[in-house]
Amino acid sequence: MSDIAKEERKKRRTLVLRPSSRTINISVSGIQSTRDTNGVIGCPSRKSFSLGGGSKVLEKSALQTPRQVVRVFDEEDNDVTPQPLYQADPAAAQSKASRLFLDEISAGSASDQTTATGSFTMPFSRSIFGSSRISSQSTIESVNEEIEDTFPKRDLPINFPEVQRKRDIVKEHVTEDMLKEVTDISISETDSISLLDIPSTFVSVDADDAEATMERNNQYAELCRNRMGNDKYVDQSVQTLNGAAKNKQVQSDSIMMVDSATTVTTWDMYDSLISPEQCEELCSQELRRADCPEVGVDTSRGAERSVSVGSTASSAASSLKEVEAFGSGLNAESDLQLIMLSERFHHSLLVMERSILGNTFQPKLAAYRQLPVTHEPDSLVQPGMVEQREEDTHSPPSPAVERLWTFSCELSRGRSVHTMAWNKKNPDLLAVGYGEFGFSNQKPGLVCCWSLKNPTWPERAIQCDSAVTSLDFSSNNPSQLAVGMQDGSIAIYNVKNQESESCVLSSSECPNRHLDPVWQLRWTQQELSPTGEEEIESLFSVAADGRISKWFICRSGLDCIDLMKLKKIQTTKKKVGGTQTESVLSALTPGLCFDFHPTDSSVYLVGTWEGLVHKCSCSNNQQFLETYRKHFCPVNCITWSPLSPDVFLSCSSDWTIQLWKQDRHHPMLGFSSTQTAVCDIKWSPKWATVFGAVNEGQLAIWDLNSSLLEPIIVQPAAAGVKMKSLLFATQTDCVLVGDSDGQVAVYQLKNLSVGESSQVDILEGIIRSAAPKQL
Amino acid sequence: MLTRIEAHKSVIGTIVVNADGIPIRTTLDNSTANQYAGLFRQLTLMARSTVRDIDPQNDLLVLRVRSKKHEILVAPENDFLLIVIQNECE
Repeated sequence: MSDIAKEERKKRRTLVLRPSSRTINISVSGIQSTRDTNGVIGCPSRKSFSLGGGSKVLEKSALQTPRQVVRVFDEEDNDVTPQPLYQADPAAAQSKASRLFLDEISAGSASDQTTATGSFTMPFSRSIFGSSRISSQSTIESVNEEIEDTFPKRDLPINFPEVQRKRDIVKEHVTEDMLKEVTDISISETDSISLLDIPSTFVSVDADDAEATMERNNQYAELCRNRMGNDKYVDQSVQTLNGAAKNKQVQSDSIMMVDSATTVTTWDMYDSLISPEQCEELCSQELRRADCPEVGVDTSRGAERSVSVGSTASSAASSLKEVEAFGSGLNAESDLQLIMLSERFHHSLLVMERSILGNTFQPKLAAYRQLPVTHEPDSLVQPGMVEQREEDTHSPPSPAVERLWTFSCELSRGRSVHTMAWNKKNPDLLAVGYGEFGFSNQKPGLVCCWSLKNPTWPERAIQCDSAVTSLDFSSNNPSQLAVGMQDGSIAIYNVKNQESESCVLSSSECPNRHLDPVWQLRWTQQELSPTGEEEIESLFSVAADGRISKWFICRSGLDCIDLMKLKKIQTTKKKVGGTQTESVLSALTPGLCFDFHPTDSSVYLVGTWEGLVHKCSCSNNQQFLETYRKHFCPVNCITWSPLSPDVFLSCSSDWTIQLWKQDRHHPMLGFSSTQTAVCDIKWSPKWATVFGAVNEGQLAIWDLNSSLLEPIIVQPAAAGVKMKSLLFATQTDCVLVGDSDGQVAVYQLKNLSVGESSQVDILEGIIRSAAPKQL
Repeated sequence: MLTRIEAHKSVIGTIVVNADGIPIRTTLDNSTANQYAGLFRQLTLMARSTVRDIDPQNDLLVLRVRSKKHEILVAPENDFLLIVIQNECE
């Protein structure tokens, strides 16, 4: 080893001197010299030397790498043994085999070259097997690098310390403490890794077998020279045999080409992007619902189906298309059925119906909504209309009502309209209660909800057990409709759903229920006094059994508490506090109507059978606050003026209408125009001086501004029909009149010479002027 | 409800068309119904495409074609087509 070491030292020294030397070469050469294996020396001048060593090795060495612990020392005898770059581990055994192949290939490729090359390959194999600490890999790599031109030049002294590396870290068990302690990690640059190593065919002049190689080279050169005219060598051409071509045919399935085109639209992209789940749901629903033919039909449809569902259905469809062809008639039938039952169809029908009716009723509806009426260009109506307009212009316009249309259908024909109410939220919805009122024939009642958009068929028709006597819509829940009936029961219906025909709540189980016809119902907001802000809506009712009740919802249904009992007050005897009288009949007098004060919802007026009007308060259920006497017949209707706070009207069967002020015991004004009982009376919501009254034969509109003695508009009822109830439309100047034939006619008030303002002051003035008369 | 529409006095005829363009219920004669069905299908597709192109969340409810003699209302849906022909209102 010593001579090797000397050699190495020598080499090192020499290498040190050479400025052009490369780092790895140094190490390589150092390594090479220390091993008795060959090595390729970077310096071309010394190649032969090393080669010689290599060839020696070739002859005597086996493939097994002698495991030698080789240590490198420099001049100062420092241990500069380079660390092996390649740590052999058992897992790399396989890779060794592959690398051997690689090297064999490379060896094979270099086979036509000089044996010097072959000796070069040996180091590969040897280095591959190199499990020695000396990195054989580095030898290969260095060889590669020497060949490659991209080898960076490094200064020797700088790289020298790199070679001096620490020994391998001893492997020991990692303990907890070791994990916790701070360890210093030094990072250093690794050696360059060479990836390609093609052995050089050049041999250094100084290599061991350089002489042999040179000899061989010379021989070959001579051979080449001699070759030209020598008999020993004959030129012979060789032909590569071309194999005979053979045609072989292969058959494959024909590729079907289908042209597909689509037009991209904005909505198509939106559909596929935004709502793929909806489309899938839709498709899956339809697939579930539909029979086979439907599935086939589905897949043939357009772009809105999602692809996945379509593909699953198409397999079913292809087998069913034949079925379709046969049963096309059947298909249509099932289609029809499915379509007819589908919800979308119903919705379409609804829209369609309304459109049709809108066309038909367009002028009327426009007049109702106070829109300009459009005239069709070639219609026959035109001349008639022109005539009318001409008439109007001739004479000064007089107030009149024009009949716009009627709500009627077969369901309601023949039934008498008793009560009507507008929906609080949707001003186009009208609820009408019907019922035959004879005591002999008690037909079941009917409630119809009409929409303005469809005057020919009600939106909802609810059958009730007995004749409907009163109706009111709730304001808090606009779809709740309270119905009071002749048998005293009150039911609350929800008109929102088409299917739910049954009532939501009914008072039929309530023990306190009314036993006599419920003449009036009202939903009113009541303020809770402690909290002050919360407004609860409660249902109040007045019935013929003389009780005014407040209803609320309890567990099983409606329950009520009595607000007031209407006791008979006999004019001869005054009973304070009202104990039961000795009369056989009930001491309670039927209440026929009531109305809550528009602003103070705890005060209300009640009209009784006796003709008395009582003012009561919700907080006091024993005594009336006031009693107003004038009528001597049952008070049919009582209503506060919506615009003037203290004024109310009452009408009764004694043919009179009385106008009262809240604090006066006697009416301010009385009106009487006919000699029949006045059934219904309502203030106009827009003008304070206008109100309408209905008696059996006519509709009368009064305008206190123009005349106190007679109504300004009188519309007689149609023959044989008695007008029963009255309702003003809230936003337009129309009046609805219900009659005994089940028709609700809509009249438009025209040419009322009323000013723009609400006329409250005028009303006040009239009343004040009337006041002195009373005194 | 369909019978009510059909019974309306200004309505001349109604056609319910399925997705294949075949009228499945009609009050008119078959040839006219087929003609209407085929022609209006194209029109409604175009109209619907137009409406939805402007705003994809919108959809066509009813298409009205008013002509000199009568008015045709078409309600397009995914599965079917409802066509009503109405006379000029009085």
